[in-house]
Amino acid sequence: MKVTASPYLTEHKPLFRRLLQMLLEEYPYASLLASDIREKSWSASRRLTSISGSGQFSARGFVVRVFDGAHWSEHSFSRISQDLLPELFAQIKETAALSPLPAGVAENAYAAPVEEETVFRGSTDCEVLPEDLGDDEIIARLTALRDRGLARSGQLLDCTVRANWNRTSKLFLSPKKDLEQNIMWTVARVSAAAGRGQEIKTSHEAISHLGGLELLDKLGERVARVAGTTVELLDSEPLVPGEYECICTPDTTGMIVHEAFGHGVEMDMFVKDRAQARRFIGQYVASPLVTMHDGAAAAPETGSYFFDDEGTMARDTVVIEKGVLKTGISDYQSAMLLGTQPTGNGRRESHRRKAYARMTNTFFEGGTDRVEDMIASVKDGLLLAEPASGMEDPKNWGIQCMVNYAREIKDGKLTGRIFSPIVLTGYVPDLLKSITMMSPDVEMYGAGFCGKGYKEWLKVSEGGPYIKARIRLG
Amino acid sequence: MMEKIRSALRELGADTYTVHETATRSVEAFYVRKRLDLKRRTDLTEYEVTVFRPLEREGRALLGSAAVPVYPDMGEDELREALASAYHAASFAGNPRYELYRGRREELIPSRSGFAGRPLEESLLAMAEALFAADVHEDVFLNSAEIFAIRRVRRVVNSSGVDVSWETFEVKGEYVCQCVTPADVETYHSFDFLEPEAEELTADAAAALAQTRDRAAATQAPPAGTYTVILSGDHVGTVLDYYRSRSSAGMVYQRYSGWQVGEDVQGKDVRGSRVTAVLKAAEPYDGEGIPLRDRPLLEDGVLRTIHGGSRFAQYLGIEPTGAYRCLQVPTGSTPLAELKRRPYLHVVGFSDFQMDDLSGHFGGEIRLAYLYDGETVTPVTGGSVNGSILDAQKHMVFSAERYRSARYEGPFAVAIEDVAVAGK
Repeated sequence: MKVTASPYLTEHKPLFRRLLQMLLEEYPYASLLASDIREKSWSASRRLTSISGSGQFSARGFVVRVFDGAHWSEHSFSRISQDLLPELFAQIKETAALSPLPAGVAENAYAAPVEEETVFRGSTDCEVLPEDLGDDEIIARLTALRDRGLARSGQLLDCTVRANWNRTSKLFLSPKKDLEQNIMWTVARVSAAAGRGQEIKTSHEAISHLGGLELLDKLGERVARVAGTTVELLDSEPLVPGEYECICTPDTTGMIVHEAFGHGVEMDMFVKDRAQARRFIGQYVASPLVTMHDGAAAAPETGSYFFDDEGTMARDTVVIEKGVLKTGISDYQSAMLLGTQPTGNGRRESHRRKAYARMTNTFFEGGTDRVEDMIASVKDGLLLAEPASGMEDPKNWGIQCMVNYAREIKDGKLTGRIFSPIVLTGYVPDLLKSITMMSPDVEMYGAGFCGKGYKEWLKVSEGGPYIKARIRLG
Repeated sequence: MMEKIRSALRELGADTYTVHETATRSVEAFYVRKRLDLKRRTDLTEYEVTVFRPLEREGRALLGSAAVPVYPDMGEDELREALASAYHAASFAGNPRYELYRGRREELIPSRSGFAGRPLEESLLAMAEALFAADVHEDVFLNSAEIFAIRRVRRVVNSSGVDVSWETFEVKGEYVCQCVTPADVETYHSFDFLEPEAEELTADAAAALAQTRDRAAATQAPPAGTYTVILSGDHVGTVLDYYRSRSSAGMVYQRYSGWQVGEDVQGKDVRGSRVTAVLKAAEPYDGEGIPLRDRPLLEDGVLRTIHGGSRFAQYLGIEPTGAYRCLQVPTGSTPLAELKRRPYLHVVGFSDFQMDDLSGHFGGEIRLAYLYDGETVTPVTGGSVNGSILDAQKHMVFSAERYRSARYEGPFAVAIEDVAVAGK
């Protein structure tokens, strides 16, 4: 079935139109984005059970964007009614008149935006809604999985099973656009912890999809693996720093794609001269095996939508094709300054925040090598698994990823030795050019979040196949 | 809206609840080089309601709870439906029963910040002037900056009498410095001022620009090995926050931490500084409306307080202290210059410095460090620091210089012996 629209947005749409009309009588261009985002989460751990309808992205609110003939301003607010329209109009005018210009600083001047006439209504598909299962059934399932995990080993301190559900409804209005979308995604996660002395080791696995709670049916197989890995990690060793021949699991590949190159091609960074990639368009930046995509329309995952927060329709952008950098990903304002086309990557953390050029679903295409052959080809190296976090460095093309553990490979076989934790660093083109093997199947992971620097958190997905590369590890 | 919420809860028979109301006003400016690219304002009022429900399961007294956001535009039917859904959900999220924090109605506590009483746009402009005042060089300059002047009024109301509210002001932001020669590089910096300390922002930005010039001169990673690593600024706070995290009642109740009051959590054989720390009351109340006051956390490495809100405190049979987010640590007695007499690696910039409170591991990729080999100081870049607080706490030496940010007040620097560094 299709995800249904927000009754609130439907009911208030005439009001949004009236406000927009008032603004268009004053300014050459204005747009309004209205969001109504519902979330719910359920979790069961050894000592706590929780249900919340208040999630990280839960929000209902509005952002108006105004172009006064040369400059852009935005006003975010949380209330709208017929009575409030004159006050809102006055506030938006005040915002447009702001002039926070320190000595020696001028205001950027833009050309008038050009839009194509677009009317769109779209909803993603789902099978099982939270109300279909009921909170009692969801908690019962998570509790049963938790118990199964805890039963795997008496060494486990805890096993937590969690599900997060999100239904996002957005409406975008501008002089020529009338867009509505309804998206649903669900994420489920198993994590476990075990301690030795003061040190506690953890492991986790997550699954995600564009859809409802039917995802829970696929969680069971993960529980035993997470519990087993956690106990194994109690015997993990620190890794001797150095450069290693590595096989990366698809989730680790995903993080490398995201951190190594994804942030580096966000084109608001081109505007600021903060990304080396701008100077490498048309050049080899990776092994010829590598083809990389980003786009809300590139894969059905947690980074998917039909139009972005600036009213640009979603695309599938080929960022790297057979090792050659083709293009970046762009928001609307950056595209205007750069004289390029926006790619549908203008995203906001919420109506409270500014839009930036952001990733969506980012991944490498698959290759032709069997995973068994890839491991067999390693004389002395590591299998890297379970990425934890990463940080971009578009200017200098450095990469930092934290990976939970690495398994030793000697003479083409896993030896059973395990190292943890791992810091993966290096120079992005060196790493990407060192890729020599890729498995066929692409796996996507949409459980994580993406920040711009240290803020502006968004849901994205990332992924790829198993890859073989030389990587500097600490 | 608050009365509408209370009325709907009464109608529902939900007589145990907490309501958070947050009113946020902000003025924001986004600069690219010396151009204002976008200006913004926000005017947001948001509510979150947590509904509690006493339950009995197999003879055990439980308390279920579920939270739900409430929006100012919600009609009565929608509001009733949202709260009823949360009340129903609370039936299935039962945990051992506890009492909500008991309090009373208090007057709004106005902010005493120097930002209070001034229009937000004036505060923003003053701090923007201060930031750009440092941008006076040809070779190194501000690439971009984002500044946010924010006023918040928070109110917490619960069914046990708590009705408190308080106002805060801050001007925070981030900026990127760029140096184009001999290499084109950048460094990232952030700030969060609760007072209009314009001169401090100018000085910080000037230091950041100077560091960026050094980053442009850095070409090599340090040789791999073990070093006396010096961390400074917020990185010191990040490492020491391990003690705040491990001593939280939530961690102890869930057995992620076995710490007990009176325990020497820094351990035996400490050759460096003994850690003393205070939980700093940065705001008058926490999210439950519990009044916050400065509390001793550690004295010479010995744990003095397990801290947390009502729920976990009652589970552990201790006093609820409220939730703290700021740590205050006394400075050491050794000037930084003294710490730098012997060979060291002083890391001033990481890609993303991480402290894992569970494993005790800390580290990150080095964006800029100063390597002193006993003869010369060389700026280096690349490689990574990989340490463990479980080892490091035996030989940390704190500097005499002081540092202050929104989450940490204490020694500007700490020197830690024998930290592994991956490098060339």
